[in-house]
Amino acid sequence: MKRKDTVKLISTDEMEFVIDKDAAMVSQTIRNMLTSPGPIDNWVFLGGFAETELGEVTFPEISAVILEKICQYFYWALQYSRGKETEFHIEPELTLELMMAANYLHT
Amino acid sequence: MSNQKKRNFQIEAFKHRVVVDPKYAEKTWSILEHAIHEIYNHNASGLSFEELYRNAYNMVLHKFGEKLYSGLVATMTAHLKEISKSIEAAQGDLFLEELNRKWNDHNKALQMIRDILMYMDRTYIPNTHKTPVHELGLNLWRDNVIHSSKIQSRLLSMLLELVHRERTGEVIDRGLMRNIIKMLMDLGSSVYQEDFEKPFLEVSAEFYMGESQKFIECCDCGDYLKKAELRLNEEIERVTHYLDVKSEVKITNVVEKEMIANHMMRLVHMENSGLVNMLLDDKYEDLGRMYNLFRRVPNGLSTIRDVMTSHLREIGKQLVTDAEKLKDPVEFVQRLLDEKDKYDSIISQAFSNDKTFQNALNSSFEYFINLNNRSPEFISLFVDDKLRKGLKGVSEEDVEIILDKVMMLFRYLQEKDVFEKYYKQHLAKRLLSGKTVSDDAERSLIVKLKTECGYQFTSKLEGMFTDMKTSQDTMQGFYASHPELTDGPTLVVQVLTTGSWPTQPSITCNLPAEMSALCEKFRSYYLGTHTGRRLSWQTNMGTADIKATFGKGQKHELNVSTYQMCVLMLFNNADRLSYKEVEQATGIPASDLKRCLQSMACVKGKNVLRKEPMSKDIGEDDAFFVNDKFTSKFYKVKIGTVVAQKESEPEKQETRQRVEEDRKPQIEAAIVRIMKSRRVLDHNNIIAEVTKQLQSRFLANPTEIKKRIESLIERDFLERDNNDRKLYRTMNYVEEGLVSKSKRSSQLLVSKTEEDGSIKILFVEHKRFNDLCRSARLVTPLMIPSATLPSFGFDPTFTWPQKLLISKPRLPRKLVAFVTSF
Repeated sequence: MKRKDTVKLISTDEMEFVIDKDAAMVSQTIRNMLTSPGPIDNWVFLGGFAETELGEVTFPEISAVILEKICQYFYWALQYSRGKETEFHIEPELTLELMMAANYLHT
Repeated sequence: MSNQKKRNFQIEAFKHRVVVDPKYAEKTWSILEHAIHEIYNHNASGLSFEELYRNAYNMVLHKFGEKLYSGLVATMTAHLKEISKSIEAAQGDLFLEELNRKWNDHNKALQMIRDILMYMDRTYIPNTHKTPVHELGLNLWRDNVIHSSKIQSRLLSMLLELVHRERTGEVIDRGLMRNIIKMLMDLGSSVYQEDFEKPFLEVSAEFYMGESQKFIECCDCGDYLKKAELRLNEEIERVTHYLDVKSEVKITNVVEKEMIANHMMRLVHMENSGLVNMLLDDKYEDLGRMYNLFRRVPNGLSTIRDVMTSHLREIGKQLVTDAEKLKDPVEFVQRLLDEKDKYDSIISQAFSNDKTFQNALNSSFEYFINLNNRSPEFISLFVDDKLRKGLKGVSEEDVEIILDKVMMLFRYLQEKDVFEKYYKQHLAKRLLSGKTVSDDAERSLIVKLKTECGYQFTSKLEGMFTDMKTSQDTMQGFYASHPELTDGPTLVVQVLTTGSWPTQPSITCNLPAEMSALCEKFRSYYLGTHTGRRLSWQTNMGTADIKATFGKGQKHELNVSTYQMCVLMLFNNADRLSYKEVEQATGIPASDLKRCLQSMACVKGKNVLRKEPMSKDIGEDDAFFVNDKFTSKFYKVKIGTVVAQKESEPEKQETRQRVEEDRKPQIEAAIVRIMKSRRVLDHNNIIAEVTKQLQSRFLANPTEIKKRIESLIERDFLERDNNDRKLYRTMNYVEEGLVSKSKRSSQLLVSKTEEDGSIKILFVEHKRFNDLCRSARLVTPLMIPSATLPSFGFDPTFTWPQKLLISKPRLPRKLVAFVTSF
């Protein structure tokens, strides 16, 4: 398994976003993708999913615009959790799609 | 349906999904099903998590949750059945390993499946109240693998077999064991309990029942306990290695019950190695082990305690009643102390200083020390011995330790007043003969007695020390005022206060002329400085040092008693004296004279006198000469009087009687005190309270208390209730008056009975409790006519009527009284 600190997120229109793993793992779904089936233990190595192996995730249902916003959100959320309380601005026209993506990504 | 729509309204707007392919659900599920197979086959790396997640997500969104869920159940079940088969096929010991491996596989797979089906876990399952994926996986494993008929019993018997093998000393794979047990616990505590713990405990109980039976037949108590302890530790260790923590209590209970509780009595009473033997042989380690093991089971400690107590009492009883051992009082007390030391160290080293054991020890000692009514005397004799010679060259701390031990024995005594009586006698002898080794030790003991029993107990004893000190000053004063006395015999007088010292009425013997002249001088000196006192000589208590020259000119200094001195001085003027002549000339009482003559004429090495005829005893017709041939290696010769150290039987009786006499007023005083505050009280309560009040001094005998009550009734202090004969009340309104003479104060209980104001005196009590023994006596009810009464208040001139004084010889002649608030 590659031990990289970054992960590549690919949108439906094949835009690639390389972001820190920490940030990506704000999404519970992405966290599972990258870590399932959990830490390797001593007896058996079952192997993870393709995403874990490659360190990249393709989202065929999320556009680049939204994915960019999502990445911004990841970083913002990280900072927020570290105590920096700023506002996160969302353009009204993106709201609906962002919400769907959020549901999907479990953030 | 409409309900669900509303809840997931934002999902409805998901535009990609408006296309509804009728085959959509089938297709998506087959992708997921395939993925599950792949996961079980360790091929997950070819799968895209995102794709699977998306598919599952979409299935749930499109209301195919049910299909997804049931598909999952079916697929997983199928896999588990296969796994179950492969486990069943494993041979022998490989079975557990295979089970463990498959369990790990399953766990891993289950986690992956849960992850990709996370959306279902989040939304569909809570809404439909189904079992979450992870739990479902565990349940399916339990039902299809662990509870499969071919595995369940095999698993259990293998586990139990492994435990048994470990118990019999084999080394087993504890890691594997731990994993399997952990699996059972993961499947739920009920699975662990039902499928393992319960049968495990049953088998253990059976195992230990057999083992304990075997051990108890062939081991002695100590070995058995060692084995039991070992087993117990093994089980505890087993629990920490591979069982549930909660099992520890259960399995230790089993071991305790089978190995200890069931055999407790047999162990304790085991012949040649049981508790009694351990106690006898000071086996601290074994005793400690027994304590720690028995503590774990109900009634364990009380069993040990009971056996120890009865053993102690038995030993103690032998100790205090064995006539052989009673011959030497010092030895007797030393034995008691040794016994106490022995058990103290057993309790501190083996029984972790358990308070209940200490109490048992104390009560046992109290029990048997008081079995022998000479214990108080012997303890006092022991102290006497120590203070006379035993403490020479011993450091101060050690002295303290010895005295503390004595105090401990003293605490056990019920008849502390008897001890006081003897102690006083012995102390008096020590002080007068100047035998006491250490003044500090003496005083330290008195301080201890004081803290234990209060000021009253020791005031007399302290008075004795004061007298000694004052006498020294007096003697200095005497010689200072009589400088002419430096030549001739020296007189040392110790002036003792009556009451503080144990005195026997004694007949003053005729002192030699030069001595009696000296005594007269002292008397006039003393009475000149202290008016209003009376001196009487206690010649029976004195000693003398005289210089003697014998036939061949050899000189010796003889240390003798006053009596002996009187006798010897007679020989300055005569060569031969008959018994009669001696008796006449000295005036010494016959029994004392005989003893003193015996010690001078019949003891070898000290026979300064010669007697005709030669015999052991002194006869009335014997004649005495100075023994010219007397020789001794020492210049100073001490001639002791033949005295019995221990009291003889009649003396003992006498002391006992005196003690009994002294108790009467104390009991009465206690009754009066109680009744003064209570007014009305029933018989049993009086007895109880009197006993309680007096127990620091002695154990009051109920019959005696009853007699005292009756006596008080006779004397109109108490009366019986007319309806309830068991009920007593103070008959009259009793006032207290204070009567004082010099520094002492007494209390008068006075009742105002007559209408004309005359009073009736019922009871006189000295404020100082100790004085009570001697000077408080109940007076016969005495009427004092009002005319003779002083005006109340302080009247220094008032003299009590003579009648009062007659009935109480020791009452002071003149009383200064003020009677409060009539």
